[in-house]
Formats: sequence, C-alpha cells, structure tokens
Amino acid sequence: MKMHAKNRNVAIIGIGQTSLSSHKEDQNQAEMVHEAVRNALADAGLKIGDIDCIVHGNMELFEMQFAPDLWHSLGTGAYGKDEYRITTGGTTGATLVCAADNLVASGLYDTVLAIGMEKLQEGNTTGGITNMADPLWFRNLQTGALTGTTAQEIIDEFGEERAKRAAMRYRIMMDKHAMLNQRAHRRLGLEYSQMEDLMANSPPLVGELRLIHMCSQSDGACAMIFTSEEKVKQGTKNPPVWMRDHIQVHREETIPNLFGFNKPEVTHHLAARKLFARNGIQDPVAYFDVFEMYDPSAWWAVDWLREFFLLTGDEHLRMLEAGDFDMDGRIPINPSGGVIASNPIGATAMLRLAEAALQIRGDAGGHQIKKEVRHALASGFGGTFWSVLMILEKELNWQEVNHD
Amino acid sequence: MTEYFGTTVADIFATMPKRFKPEEAKEVDIAIGYEATGEGGGKWKATIKHGTLKVETVEGELTGCKTTIHTDAETFVGVTLGKIAALDALSSQKLRVAGDPKFLMLLLPKIFTPYAAPAKKPDAVTARDIIATIAERFRPEKAEGVAMTIGYDLAGEGGGKWTIVIREGKCAVREGLADPLTVKMTMEAKTYAGMMVGTIEAVTAFTSGQVKIEGDMAAAGATAKYFLKYVVPGATEAEELISLRVINSIEQRFATGPVMGRWFAGIREKKFLANRCPKCGRTQIPPREICAWCRVRVHEFVEVGPKGVVTHFDIVYFASPDPLTGAVRDTPYATAYVVFDGATEREAITLDLKQEDIPRLKEGARVRPVWAEVTTGSYRDLIGVELDEEEGSI
Repeated sequence: MKMHAKNRNVAIIGIGQTSLSSHKEDQNQAEMVHEAVRNALADAGLKIGDIDCIVHGNMELFEMQFAPDLWHSLGTGAYGKDEYRITTGGTTGATLVCAADNLVASGLYDTVLAIGMEKLQEGNTTGGITNMADPLWFRNLQTGALTGTTAQEIIDEFGEERAKRAAMRYRIMMDKHAMLNQRAHRRLGLEYSQMEDLMANSPPLVGELRLIHMCSQSDGACAMIFTSEEKVKQGTKNPPVWMRDHIQVHREETIPNLFGFNKPEVTHHLAARKLFARNGIQDPVAYFDVFEMYDPSAWWAVDWLREFFLLTGDEHLRMLEAGDFDMDGRIPINPSGGVIASNPIGATAMLRLAEAALQIRGDAGGHQIKKEVRHALASGFGGTFWSVLMILEKELNWQEVNHD
Repeated sequence: MTEYFGTTVADIFATMPKRFKPEEAKEVDIAIGYEATGEGGGKWKATIKHGTLKVETVEGELTGCKTTIHTDAETFVGVTLGKIAALDALSSQKLRVAGDPKFLMLLLPKIFTPYAAPAKKPDAVTARDIIATIAERFRPEKAEGVAMTIGYDLAGEGGGKWTIVIREGKCAVREGLADPLTVKMTMEAKTYAGMMVGTIEAVTAFTSGQVKIEGDMAAAGATAKYFLKYVVPGATEAEELISLRVINSIEQRFATGPVMGRWFAGIREKKFLANRCPKCGRTQIPPREICAWCRVRVHEFVEVGPKGVVTHFDIVYFASPDPLTGAVRDTPYATAYVVFDGATEREAITLDLKQEDIPRLKEGARVRPVWAEVTTGSYRDLIGVELDEEEGSI
C-alpha cells in the first residue's frame, strides 16, 4: 500500500474544551458545543468567519439523535459552510482530527475547525453499542465495553499479585493526575495506601475488572482548529503545534477472532510499528516527552503501554513500578487523568490530542509537565480494536517522512 | 440529629413509605440493609415484598438482607440527594455495597420517588443565622463610595446587638452597637427574621410600630440594595432546568443474505456451518462472503462442532441489561469464547455459558451446545453452551 508524504504541513492553532462532568443540565447539546467552539476561537484569536470548513462528530446512537450536526449548527457555526460529519465509535475524536489534518494537508481548505462532543446522560450508551453490533448474530451477546479477558491474560502472564498491583498503581496514578486537572470529571483523591483495599473490595464488574478500573461516562465537548503552514507564517496568537503524522489501523470483522487459540498482532502494536518505522523513530520511550493514551480501563492501559511502546516481556511493568509513567517520570502518561477520569465519547480521543498539544505549548495549567515537551504521542481507540496513533511536534524540524 | 446538605439520614428513612411506589414493586422481593456511620448515622432495614414496604431501625447486626449498603452519614445523604455521584462514591470506596450495586441503582429509582431535602421552615431561621450571612451577601459594586454604620438591636430568642459597617467597598459585622450609628433599628428578632425571609412585609412592620428606626431614615431604606437577598438554606430559588424524557421503541428487520442465511438454516437444524477460505483455509464462524484477511470470495461450507473448547471467558458480575429485552440479567453470568471441533485456531465464537456451570468453568474446558426447544433459524435457537463433562476432560 502506497502512502504519500504530506502535501503541506498542518498545525493546531486553537484548542477549546468544556468542563467534563457526569451531567450538564444547564446546557443543551448545541450550547455545550458552542462553549467549546467559542473557547477554541478565542484561543486561536480567530472569528468564525476565518473558518473554511467544519468537521463535526459524536456517536449519534448514544444520544439516539439523528443528524445532530443540524441541531448543533447553532453551536458549531457551520451555517453556510462546508461541513463533514464523522461517527466512528470510540475513535470518533481521533478520526475527526485525522480528517481535519488531511483536509488541510490536501490543500482543499486552509483552516478547519474540528468538534467532538457527547452528552452520555441524554441517551443510553449500552443501547447504542448494542445497535452497532452485528445484528445478524452477535447482537444478543453485546453488553458494551466491559471485559475481564485482558485482566486474566495479565494475571496469567505475570502472576496475580504483580498484575493486580500494576493495574491499581496505574489507576491511582491516573487519579493523582486528574486531581491536578480542574476540568477532569472524576477526581477521587485516591492514595497509594488504598491499593490493597481497592484491589480486594472495589465491586467486581467482569472477572478481575472492577468498578475502580473502568472509565467514566461523561458529558463534554472539545474543539480544535487546524491550519496550514502558510497561514501560520502570517502569525498566530499562540505557538503552533505541528501534526507530524497519524495512522489508523482497523481490525475487520469480529472480536472473537482475537480470542481463539492464538492471538494476531494487536492493532496498537501494528499502528505503532508502522508509524515509528516510517518516521525513523527507533526508541519511542526515549523520543517522546509525553503520551496521552486512550485508556478505557486500567487493565487495558497496562497492557497497551507494552504494545504502543513496542516493549517486550515485563518491560512495561518494570517502567510502571519504577514510576517512569508518573508526571515527573521518563515518559509521563496522561497528565490530564486520561479516559478513566473523563470520557465524553465523541470528544474523548480528541481530548488526547488536545491535551498533548497543550503540553507542548506549556499551557496545560495545573497538570503541565515540568520538563520541556517537544515530542508528543496521542492515541484513539474504538470498537473491534480500531487504533489511531498521532505524533505532535513543537518544532517544524523533523526528518522527511519515509513512506516507501 | 446531625444535618448534611440541609437534611438528616433519619429523614430519608422516615419519608421512605411516602415515596414508595407499590405498583412498581409488585415483582420485588428483597431486604436491603443500610449502615450509615458517624454522627447522625445508624442502621436501617427496608423489606420490600410484593408491593409492600417495611422500614425499621436496627440495633446490632444487620441480618436477613440480600444486599447491604455501608457508608458514612454524609456520603449517604449526599448520594441520596444527588450531590455526590453514586458511582464516584462506589469507586472511591466511600460507599460499599455487599451484593450487586448496579441492581440497586436500577431498582431503587424505579420503586421510590426521589428524596428531596425539606425546605427549612422560615420560622426555624433565626436573626442570628441571617446576620451571619451578611458579609457574604454584600455587593461591593453597589456600595461604591458608601460609608455608614447600621445598628440592629434585636430582642428575644436568636437575637442580639450587631453593627454593620460599610466603608470603602467593604462590609464588616461586629457584635454590639457602635457609637455613633448612621441608623439604628430596634425590633423583635423574629420580626427581623420574618422580614428577611419574606413572611413579614417591611413597610407594614414599620407602619405598625413593630420596627423602630432612629437616625437616617433614607439610609435605612437604602441598605437592601447593598446586599443579595437572603435565601433560606435548602429552599430552591435556582433557575428551573427542564429535561424532556423520551422513550423510543422501534421494531427492526434485517436481511441475512445468502451466506448468513445458510448459517441460520444450519442453526435451525442444530448444525454449525462455517465456510472455508480457499486461500488461507480458515473456517469462518459465522460464515462470511469474503475472507477479509485474504480478500477473496468464500464458497465452500463445512460443518464444525457441535462440541468445542473454551479458549477464554468472562464472568460478568455487573447487572447489565439484556440487549434484546432491556431486562436486568441475573448475575453472575458467563460468556465463553469457544473454538468448535474442526474449526481453525482463531475462529472463536462467543456464547453464553449455563449459569450452574460457572464455578467449574476453566480455560480448555469442553462444552456442548444447549438448544431451544423449538428452533426457527434465529440466534435465539442457540441458548448457549454447557460443560461437556461426560468426556472427563476437565
């Protein structure tokens, strides 16, 4: 498959978020979107007239609201503009970003506004996921994103005690990060001294996946503005953050194909392997300064760190145990608190990129990493293990991408 | 009784019978135990049986309860009022449930109308309570350039003598009466409280001689605008936020096509018909027109199973709704990944496992299908799998 290098460079020049909470009864959907859009325009120092195209996304089945982009146009500012709509499950926010990146890189538009949103309290997520499942055979077995199989695999590989402690250490680390992020939805104030108690007593959901391990269901929106290198040269209000490259890897067909007698290469690993190879990144842990990872549960997070960083054996556990993923560690993971803290689905994956970009700008506020952030990685995740991986850069000085 | 968020744990239980919806609880048979620790806490037991409710306080151990809830009094009130998210309290272990928390979260809103904290009766508010809020209600932007001292001499229960000093955009409250005062107001403490909560009209009170004003009358009339209106704690003065409730119910119909049609025709005959990729040889279950790995058409059908091996499984403790009916499922239930005999190694299929077999379920266990009494060519024909122990392989 032939991949072409970018036609022109693309930068993020505006970022807007709403607060993230379990319910937002003081705003309807369009008003919530408007808050994020207004914040992004203010951040970029632009007016809606400066936007050439809008990319809008959420999981409409979750709110059971057909063509929400039409209702939301009061908040998006899309009236009379070109608009694309994207709805790809958990990856929606990341697919929105990839689309905006491609729309600007292609030269079709100079400045594109991407908007991801979800008001999970207004619908029924499990109902929505059920309606996305294969209606011919697998519908009766679908109950959403809860699974204990990864927990069991980690326990089988590393022993019960070490595995359980690793998942709980990750979970408490995420909460400590979320406590620093004023916008985060769930900020529980957990301490490492609670580890044993939580491991034993948190209500079990599926197998060893317990309530404490799982992500939240949140309301919230995120908006980001992308523009071309030419436009950036005319001046920007805040420093630009460059979209170096992104990759999307799908897995076709059915989830049970992952659970036979042997496992195919995990999509995260395939995405990371291809993306790093074509960008000449030999050692991702050394290269990146931060990774905002789509972590739906603490168990998945622990497992996926190994896949994304192309680690082997127990390297990822040793790094976790040594504090390498902490705020002040070698490669901090999710200074924002991640998906476990806040999960407005259509915005969730976009928030990973937004938070990574804020780290590069030094504008993350209470959860800003102390050391300079020059290279950032962000990921998105969705149904049947759809994986999206994105690289952000502070400087426009990377080696030409090798797409052979 | 200690109050949290303007109410008590005891009041929540006292109002339970009033909030109970017997119609919704006809099928319910459960005893729920509650333990709220700390000041204002205690133990309660609610027994719900076929549309009846009995609430009792419990001394000593909570016994005979299917589910018990353990938390501190403040968290209990906070969660009941929705001031604290139940999932957050559960996650942080401030609230613990012995039994299935999700079941309770679905059941309780169905059989009880929500609890609302009682609005504090205006006559329960004292003058002292109101004076204590003066500084936080002060509006500096309205009092620019104003310099005055206002004395209150309030007699009777909850009364006292206070001086309010407004100067340079700041407001301070002091005990006792300063000298000199711009204006001094003398009245019964309960008259002052009544005026502030709106049960006594100020003009009437003054006209009828209940309020005595000495000094600058105009200043006395102007003071109201320097302060936000006093709001009784627990009273709802907030803007009304209306949410619309909609329940959608739709009937759908999906064409299966010729390939999945063969699978369902096989299911009707209690057979598993996979199709084999001509290139990689895998046996697709359920069968699909294309092998997405090789991107070629797949024509050949092969029968696999009916017995197979469990490769992975999930035991679900969380009472998620049945995706077909919306009913709450009985927990725990298990879904097993099964590779049928004769199928290739990655062609697992997810199936429900018979509930009684869960304690004996292991990876590598042999299973056999459990069929519906009447098979019609639908996914409902295959109820799931059960352990196949006759072979003695587990």
